[in-house]
Amino acid sequence: MSESGTHITGLGLALPGVAEAADLVSSGERADAPPPDPAERIGRKGLRYKDRATQLALVAARDALCDAGLITPDRERCAAGGSTAVVASSNLGNLDSVCTIAGDIAEKSVAAISPMNLPNASSNVVASSVAIRFGLRGPNLMLCNGVASGLDAVRWGASLISAGRAERALVVGVETGNGVTARLTGVPEDDQLDGAVALVLESSTAARLRGATSMASLGEGVRSTSVAGCVGSLLPYDASASGGTHARGTRSGGAVEAGPGVWFVPERFDLSAPLPGTEGLERHDVTRTFGRASGALGVLQCAAAVSWFASGEATAALVTSGDDGCDGVAGMMLGAPRGAR
Amino acid sequence: MDEILITGLGVISCLGNGVDAFWRGMNEAASAPRRVPDPNAHMDIPMMYGVPEAEVPRAEREPDGQPLGLGSRFALEVSRQAIASAELDGTDPQRIAVVIGTGMGDAGLHEEWRVSGYPERDGWSPTFCVASAVGSLAGAEGPNISVSNACAASGFAISIAADLIRSGEADVVVTGGAEAYSRVALGCFNRLGAVDSRRCRPFDAHREGTVFGEGAAALVLESEEHARRRGAPRAYARLAGAGWSCDAHHTTAIEPEGEQVVRAMRQALRESGVDPSEVGCVVPHGTGTLINDTVESRALSEVLGPVAAKHPLYSLKSLIGHTGGAAGALAALAAVLIVHRGTVPPNVPRDVADPECEVSLPERAVPFDGSAAVVNAYAFGGNNVSLVLQEAGS
Repeated sequence: MSESGTHITGLGLALPGVAEAADLVSSGERADAPPPDPAERIGRKGLRYKDRATQLALVAARDALCDAGLITPDRERCAAGGSTAVVASSNLGNLDSVCTIAGDIAEKSVAAISPMNLPNASSNVVASSVAIRFGLRGPNLMLCNGVASGLDAVRWGASLISAGRAERALVVGVETGNGVTARLTGVPEDDQLDGAVALVLESSTAARLRGATSMASLGEGVRSTSVAGCVGSLLPYDASASGGTHARGTRSGGAVEAGPGVWFVPERFDLSAPLPGTEGLERHDVTRTFGRASGALGVLQCAAAVSWFASGEATAALVTSGDDGCDGVAGMMLGAPRGAR
Repeated sequence: MDEILITGLGVISCLGNGVDAFWRGMNEAASAPRRVPDPNAHMDIPMMYGVPEAEVPRAEREPDGQPLGLGSRFALEVSRQAIASAELDGTDPQRIAVVIGTGMGDAGLHEEWRVSGYPERDGWSPTFCVASAVGSLAGAEGPNISVSNACAASGFAISIAADLIRSGEADVVVTGGAEAYSRVALGCFNRLGAVDSRRCRPFDAHREGTVFGEGAAALVLESEEHARRRGAPRAYARLAGAGWSCDAHHTTAIEPEGEQVVRAMRQALRESGVDPSEVGCVVPHGTGTLINDTVESRALSEVLGPVAAKHPLYSLKSLIGHTGGAAGALAALAAVLIVHRGTVPPNVPRDVADPECEVSLPERAVPFDGSAAVVNAYAFGGNNVSLVLQEAGS
């Protein structure tokens, strides 16, 4: 583990057809796998009256905390909960609850809605439910930040740590595919992610003190108005030599020493589109496997990078979310743990 | 560490539009909830402190033609005011960030469509559209963050804005919160039996719950060094510190011992280097719900000590209602004005003070006697944030 910076020390997945992290980067089209069953994964206790997004988030969160050695399946209250933050990202998470409640009130009255379903209409239900179940009493944030939301959540988890507001952060990205989200986004239900991904981020000091193992280090992050600008800010690229230009982006975070071997591209990005500086990089679009991931995308991409590192395929990865037609493009470099090839 | 200054303000609420109308309303201390203009509000108490019809900002669309809901329109209006008062012209757009808190965003737009039919040109207006619209207005090319931590959202947003500046990711941040009428939000609180049938009465012995309000507040934050370098016309106050915590207790109920509420306040005071005895005013979360006000009162006593009952509270929600995700920003803006103008305006009188809430709510204006004001914002799920504001240059 490097002497400074923020590291990923735990990974949890609630994705269709994924039994372990290695399955994340297996090639091919989306597996015809059944959706994850939260009750099967973590038992029915505590899931009643929770919406699907929250249930999926709880599954991924539990596995990430277990993976990081912060809890065990039999002892879910996190002993380090006072210094552990939660940052959840979802653009569509509780939309089905909100729309159903809105319709019931208009067509009938408030008497037609169940009080037990009401917490699900609160925008932060995912982040707070995760905190409640695992006793995480550090900062608790819910981001609904559009296409870049997942990567923003990872960056905010790291920022909370570097600002001293927490020693570690559980970052959760979750989306659900259903009729309501299909109607509102225009994306068919079977092309939407129905799953959750969670990462434990930790300062190197906190991780070292408790003997945690780094799966990846977070490098520099950038926000730009274009994919080219984002990539250009993160990759070594001589614009004058090739006649291209890269818009400057807003940078943050630490440095990853090695150049990337893989690029996790924005959702449905043209895998063969020429882009200066990315020659030779293997491109990977996780949404072709798992469906459009919206607010969960950046977290899913970081998890895929961890999986990539574990396979020994690369020592650094470039991750980008959002494209030129969006409100913004976010990017981040991740580095393999020391000792990895 | 470079200080974080507040150099621009904008606000809209049931008191009217603009900072002057807000301060005037604070000093008049008189308001009343009204019936919401929604024929489909099939609920027992369809009342809230709405923005007056004449003050509702005109309808606007996003550049792609997508209509904007009331939440976004409120946010745009107050951001225009804040940017104008800060005289931001000429700032590098890549160094301007936006952080906006909202609970329901433009949900009201979809609620209306579900009943009256979808327009020919529709699309999904997510929570994020509020921050996105403000980003377009400000020409901000830096980070654009939408925080949706229910009723504490904009309190967190302001704190995040300061962190963005401190970490060097932005020079200037347009931050705050916005909330408009939502049938879902008001319906849910009706169903929970958490709406007061008369008015919003925090810390009153006969309080029955909260009453929602519409509103938005925007603040322009920048470092002292940046403000000086660009010749900012004024600094209203400085954001001296912030504290965050989470109850991890219940999805809707506050943790009854107030342990994490206390933690957030102490963290904010510690970060700002302010001794509790220096606190001259608290703008509490104080919603009018039975247990919340009691727990917050006890927490204030624990943090501020035996003199807590003498520290004046300014109960903003008794005047403008509970503005949901915008509440933290409106409370912070009220505290900025209190610090800047050196006066704590009169509170809306309570009918009967709750003996369980040992707090001071002066019904006449009193001098701001201290060096700092504390703002609290809490939310479902136990999300707590406290802010400390001080006079600029103090």
